[in-house]
Amino acid sequence: MKLLQNPSSFRDPSGHVYKYNNRIIRVIKKYGKKRYEFIKENNLIEESIKNNFLIDTKEIENEFRNLKSENFCYFLEHERLDYISYPYEWGFYQLKEAALHHLKFQIFLLEKNAILIDSSAFNIQFKNNKPIFIDVLSIDEYIDGDYWNGHNQFLQQFLNPLLLSSLKGISFNDWYKGNLDGIKTTDLNNLLNLKDKLSFNVFFSVVLLSKLEKQNTANPKEALKKINKKRKLSKNSYRSLLLQLKKWIEKLHPLPKKTVWDSYSVANTYNEEQERGKIDIIKKFAEKHKPNLMADIGCNDGLYSFESLKSGCKKVVGFDIDTNAIDRAYKNSLKFDLNFLPLYFNATNPSGRLGWFENERESFIDRLNFDAVIALAFEHHLALANNVPLEDAVKWIIKIAKKGLIEYVSKKDETVKKMLSIKGDIFPDYNQENFEKSILLNGKIINKTKISNTRILYEFEKN
Amino acid sequence: MNKILITSFFFILFFNNKAFAYLDPGTGSIILQSILGAVAAGASYCMIYWQKIKNFFNRKKKNKND
Repeated sequence: MKLLQNPSSFRDPSGHVYKYNNRIIRVIKKYGKKRYEFIKENNLIEESIKNNFLIDTKEIENEFRNLKSENFCYFLEHERLDYISYPYEWGFYQLKEAALHHLKFQIFLLEKNAILIDSSAFNIQFKNNKPIFIDVLSIDEYIDGDYWNGHNQFLQQFLNPLLLSSLKGISFNDWYKGNLDGIKTTDLNNLLNLKDKLSFNVFFSVVLLSKLEKQNTANPKEALKKINKKRKLSKNSYRSLLLQLKKWIEKLHPLPKKTVWDSYSVANTYNEEQERGKIDIIKKFAEKHKPNLMADIGCNDGLYSFESLKSGCKKVVGFDIDTNAIDRAYKNSLKFDLNFLPLYFNATNPSGRLGWFENERESFIDRLNFDAVIALAFEHHLALANNVPLEDAVKWIIKIAKKGLIEYVSKKDETVKKMLSIKGDIFPDYNQENFEKSILLNGKIINKTKISNTRILYEFEKN
Repeated sequence: MNKILITSFFFILFFNNKAFAYLDPGTGSIILQSILGAVAAGASYCMIYWQKIKNFFNRKKKNKND
C-alpha cells in the first residue's frame, strides 16, 4: 500500500496529507520540522484536542520508519471523518460557527504563544454537527510584534460571506463556489449603502479596508514604504482584533427572507395520519438497516433525518437547496444534539471538482460514501420542476447509496397540479409505471407503501 | 526633445508600476491592523481612566452613604 498525496494538500511546503489504506496520514517535511517541534514541545496538539479545537491527531513512531528520510521527518495520523464538506455548502450558522471556532482557537493559542498562520475556511470541517480544526501545521510560534497574517483571508473567507447574507440578504454559497477565496472586501463594499457603512465595525473592516486596498493597488510603492515603516503590533492589539471580530460575529444573523419552503414541514399536502404513516416507514427502514451514514436528499428542516437518527441510523448528511431550511435544520441539529449535518445543495448543479487542476475540492459524486439514502417528496422537483427525464432522476437517486427510500408523487397531487398549472403538462412519460420501470433498471423494489392517494413510498436496493 | 522626455518619463512610470503589480492584496489588511490596533489600545487606555473616574465618584458616593 502506497501513501497517496491528497490533491488539496500542496500549498504549505511544511508537510502534506496522504491517504494510506483508508487512513489519513500527515507527513511533516524538512521545511516544517522546526514548526512541528515547536508544536510538540509545547504540547499544543494534546491541549487543542482536549479543548475540542483540533481533530484527533497522534504521532506514529514505528509504523513508517522505513519511509523516514531527510525530507520525511515525522508521521501523524488524523481521525478520519465520515463526510468532508466545504464552506460553500454550509448554511449561515455553520459558517458563523466555523468563524467563531477559528477565532476562539487563535485566542486560546495566543495565550500559549502560538498563532494560526492562515485563515482558510477549508481548514475547518464538521464532526457530526460541530466545527473542528483539521490542519495542525497551521499552528506556529507567535513572535512578539507579529501581525495577523491571516486577517485578510479571514475577512474574505468568513466575515464577508456572513455580511453579504446579514446586511444584504444574499446567500453567499453560489458566489463562494465561484471563487474559493471567498468574497473580496472591495466587491462587498460596492454593494453596501450609506446606512450599512455607518456601523463602526463595517466602516473599519469593509469601507476603510477597501479604500486602503484601492490606494495600495494604485500606488504599491507607497504602500510598501508605509508597511515597512509600521511599528509592530502588540500582543494585546492582536488579541483585541480577535476579540472584536468574535464579539461582532456572535451578533450576526441572516437578513430574514421568505423562501418557498419556509413552512413546508408544517404546511404540506397530507394529513396528520398520512404523515404518521410516512414517519413509521422511515423509522422501520432505519431500524432494519441501521445505516452508519445516510443521505437525506431534500432534507428541509430535518424532520425525517431526526426520526431516522432516533431509530438506529448513526449519522445523516442532509442536502437542500433552501438556505433558510438549512439554517433551521442546523439549529435543530444543535438544539437536539443530533449527528445531523445539513448542507446547501442544488441537485441540478451539484458541487463539482473545483480548485487547482480541478482536483482540489471533491465533487458530490466523488464524496459518495453513504450506505443509505432517503429522497422524500423530492423526485418530482427534478422530473417536473427541472425537466430532468424521470428515468435519469431515479437513476441519480439510486446512485447515491445501495439502498433507500424514494417517494413517488403522482400528477394528481395538489403540489404537482400547482407546479404544472402555469408550465403546462409537458411530461407524457411521467407516471407510476415508468417510475417503477426506472427503479427496476437499476435495482429491485423491496417494498411499496401507499401513504396517500397521490403518494407512494418505495424501498429499493441497488443491483 | 521634450516629447522624448515625456514619453520616457511615462515609460519609466508604467514600467515601475508593473514591477509591483503582483503586490500581495493583504497589504491593506496590515495597515488596517495597525490602525485598529491603535484604536483598541487607545480604547483600553481610555477604559482604564474611565474606570478610575467611576471609582472616584463611587467612592465619594459610598463615603456620603457611610
